[in-house]
Amino acid sequence: MKHSTIEKSIPLMSILTLVMVLIGGIVEIVPLFFIKSTIEKVEGMRPYTPLELRGQDIYVREGCYNCHSQMIRPFRDEQERYGHYSLAAESMYDHPFQWGSKRTGPDLARVGGKYSNLWHQAHMKNPRDVVPESVMPAYPWLAENDLDYGNIKKRMEVLQLVGVPYSQEQIDNAVEDLKAQAIPDSDSDGLLARYDEKVPLEDFDGEPARITELDAMVAYLQILGTMVDFSSYQAQAR
Amino acid sequence: MADEKEIETTGHQWDDEEGYPLKEYNNPLPKWWLYSYYATIVYAVIYWILYPAWPIPGGEYTKGVLGWSQHKQLEEEMAASQAAKKPFNDKISALTTSEITQDSQLLQYAVSAGKAIFGDNCAPCHGGGGVGAKAGGFPALVDDDWLYGGTLEQISETIHMGRAGQMPPHLDSAEGSFTAAQVNDLTQYTLSLSGRSTDAGAAGRGDALYRGDAGCNNCHGDEGKGSLLGSAGGEKLDTSIGAPNLTDAIWLYGGDEATVKTSIAKGRKGNMPAWEKDSEGNNRKLSELDIKLLSIYVHTLGGGK
Repeated sequence: MKHSTIEKSIPLMSILTLVMVLIGGIVEIVPLFFIKSTIEKVEGMRPYTPLELRGQDIYVREGCYNCHSQMIRPFRDEQERYGHYSLAAESMYDHPFQWGSKRTGPDLARVGGKYSNLWHQAHMKNPRDVVPESVMPAYPWLAENDLDYGNIKKRMEVLQLVGVPYSQEQIDNAVEDLKAQAIPDSDSDGLLARYDEKVPLEDFDGEPARITELDAMVAYLQILGTMVDFSSYQAQAR
Repeated sequence: MADEKEIETTGHQWDDEEGYPLKEYNNPLPKWWLYSYYATIVYAVIYWILYPAWPIPGGEYTKGVLGWSQHKQLEEEMAASQAAKKPFNDKISALTTSEITQDSQLLQYAVSAGKAIFGDNCAPCHGGGGVGAKAGGFPALVDDDWLYGGTLEQISETIHMGRAGQMPPHLDSAEGSFTAAQVNDLTQYTLSLSGRSTDAGAAGRGDALYRGDAGCNNCHGDEGKGSLLGSAGGEKLDTSIGAPNLTDAIWLYGGDEATVKTSIAKGRKGNMPAWEKDSEGNNRKLSELDIKLLSIYVHTLGGGK
């Protein structure tokens, strides 16, 4: 078929153009139909509690992802340093996900529980106080700013819309649950029943009476990578 | 500009009025480029045959004839690394920490392996090489001033179970039961223990509080030597309390007057996490072998007893 044949026939050119666009479309769109099958079936994953959710918002606001990834790749050096490689299931409730490939700082996919709350408090105030060679900027305002959780219900509703399985009960009790997690010794039975009995209830920011942005941030960091029960996880060959 | 006669055209002419024929040049791609392009297509097809490539409806995918997978490769690499360490690890698992330190070859292995584990897990708080950090009250491990003891067994226990500091707040506005003046007296007495008091009267009143209402001696000892070295009422103190020695020049959070006062007024809740693998087999915790190697490394840092 010659150039001139196609170029002089509008119907023929339209059909061939359509065929080309369809091929491109199929290659790009069809894999999305199978995306569910790439998420491992694991035990232990739950949506973030309201406090952890606000922590993730602040994590994104401060641009932590510019230097920290949250994806341990399946290589020996990464597994030895950070722990089990990340599973797709572990970020299925993250919107937006925090994978990334740019690491100026270490990967944070399993930073939860690795350091004490006290360490996080000192580190956020001035990283050089605990890690002299660190190049991370200081975030002293996290401890100073009161946490704004006025629109926490709306945030959870929006996440529910994109597939995070928040129940209506969880959304209705969002503010109570947030306070219960951030203030030590408060009534947390409802929070634990609605999310998981392993939800950490601690004084995350070192100031028991206030709910600061640092509370949310540390609560979020301390849960990262700790949800999946690896004793029940069987690696699929993939 | 190339001569028009040398250039191939598509042969079609749209317009030749006024002597300006509108023709479409046909510029063939350079041969090297074209054949490279064909080669990439061939490469892709070969790749699809050899390696995992295409999704199949139902959650499966083409596995490729080589049977390669990234996770399988990781397992092989991990197994190879474990196999290389096995002769050492087996010996170390079978021996006690003090037996290992007798064998120079095993000790060398334990120290270098422990150093790697320390660098990733402990250095963020205790500093590279164990120099400590004042900011969060993270103790230095390179000196011989210990809170919970510096023997191999005590270090190992600390890593296994973690440690929780329990200095209570004293100032009444911070949930304590003493006035600001009394906290000042206690501060002066504490400074006097290392010969730095600036107010003998206050230090005297602090002394009475120390072994009276405040009961500091129950943890720090009658002479302020801490729970490890000190005694109260003639009896040795429980070494698991972790109350620091107040008579030396080594301070966990800082030894200046303002910092000592803050420590007394608001209390301190230093926290060493437990590193024992928990019942869920959580991966970020350390194995029994790791803790053994780490204990030996920390013991060799300078202050091991």
